[in-house]
Amino acid sequence: MTHTLHRRGDVNSLSRDFVFLMMPSKDINHVGSAPKLRQFFELALECGAIKIGDCRSGNEYYQGGLGKVIENVVDRAVIHAVFDDRDKAISMLRRVKEADLGLSVVMSGLVDVVDQCCQEAGVQRHTVEHSLGIWGRTERLPSEAVLELNTMCGHGMVTVGLINAVVDKIKAGKMTVEEGAEELFKPCMCGIFNPARAAELLAQMAAEG
Amino acid sequence: MIIDQDKCIGCGRCVPYCPIGAISLVPKDHAEIDLDLCAECSNCLRHGVCPTDAIYQQELTWPRTVRSILSDVLTIAEESQISGRGTEEMKTNEVTGRFRRGYAGIAIELGRPVLGSRMYDVEKVAMAVAELGHIEFEVSNPVTTLMCDPKTGKFRADVLNEYVLSAIIEFSVSLERVPEVLRRLDEVAREIETVFSLDICTRVGLANELPTVEIVKAKGYWISLNGKTNLGLGRPLVKGD
Repeated sequence: MTHTLHRRGDVNSLSRDFVFLMMPSKDINHVGSAPKLRQFFELALECGAIKIGDCRSGNEYYQGGLGKVIENVVDRAVIHAVFDDRDKAISMLRRVKEADLGLSVVMSGLVDVVDQCCQEAGVQRHTVEHSLGIWGRTERLPSEAVLELNTMCGHGMVTVGLINAVVDKIKAGKMTVEEGAEELFKPCMCGIFNPARAAELLAQMAAEG
Repeated sequence: MIIDQDKCIGCGRCVPYCPIGAISLVPKDHAEIDLDLCAECSNCLRHGVCPTDAIYQQELTWPRTVRSILSDVLTIAEESQISGRGTEEMKTNEVTGRFRRGYAGIAIELGRPVLGSRMYDVEKVAMAVAELGHIEFEVSNPVTTLMCDPKTGKFRADVLNEYVLSAIIEFSVSLERVPEVLRRLDEVAREIETVFSLDICTRVGLANELPTVEIVKAKGYWISLNGKTNLGLGRPLVKGD
């Protein structure tokens, strides 16, 4: 479980990182769920989501555009929307509640902030999941800065090698931090990688030399 | 995954896309994939970076198919019918009632982040947990179906050397048992070659409290400030919760 869970970073950085997930439950409400999932995508874009994606079919680069991401949703898909702004995330929360689509929604972010958002939107949270960190041979892992970027794709597709290559290009002036962040987003099939946050992290890494 | 040596021009563009460093330029005029390490995640192929289309997917047969199921985000697991090797876990808890009040859901994700894992390390951790007694691993999880004895956490012998990006051991225990599980994980974490990311979930209390947070903190373990919140919007709501 947990592809949006184990993100690392400081409170300031994580305070601009919200991921919404919507999914039906097998044999409970999955039949006929595709139109509802499509509506969730439309709401997310109206509320200012910076990225959307679909675990089952892939992100906008893989599918060939945002339109395809929405069009290709099927029953049983697990879909996402990323926000980098608290107010927009609350707006999304309110709209999803009002739409009453009947499918499960999970909001990832700082737990206390999400709770405040829920209270403002009149939503009672149901179940909460926390990370207890990384255990075992942690000495084999790369730097914390690299991990902050890597863990934004819970499936590990934003690789250490790609992160280092992008940082090198930024340092060499061959790529802006925004272009670098977008490049790192591309392998994240679920579309949950937050490029706005990544651009800030890349700028820090490039500045630190 | 394989690189056709007749087509490869040794440009190295595929190398950074491998999450576990299985692609190398050896010798420097062509790239090669170490099949012992390759987790069959398809990241190198899917990204389309090879200018000569030298990367191709060979036919996968058992037990190598395990690598794809637990590493390729777009592979649909038969047990859960969802992509990305995970399960519904707490994401649909308001309609499934998988984790009730008084219980905690625990997931141990071997190999995450970055390193990947051999299945023998997954077995080591699963058996350590199972030794505590009365542990029931999540049946809809593809990792559980690889066990030949879910009571003991023992896996089929033919999958033990398979290398995967992540394998999630998943179960539920009463809140009172959380400390003993964490203690056992602390011990077994020192016996494996890789890492695991650990998580815990709980049904929110009647006063909006999170019982797992205090339990974990009281035992001196780190717990994240960020997390996942199920908003309770799925329908129909499970009864008797």
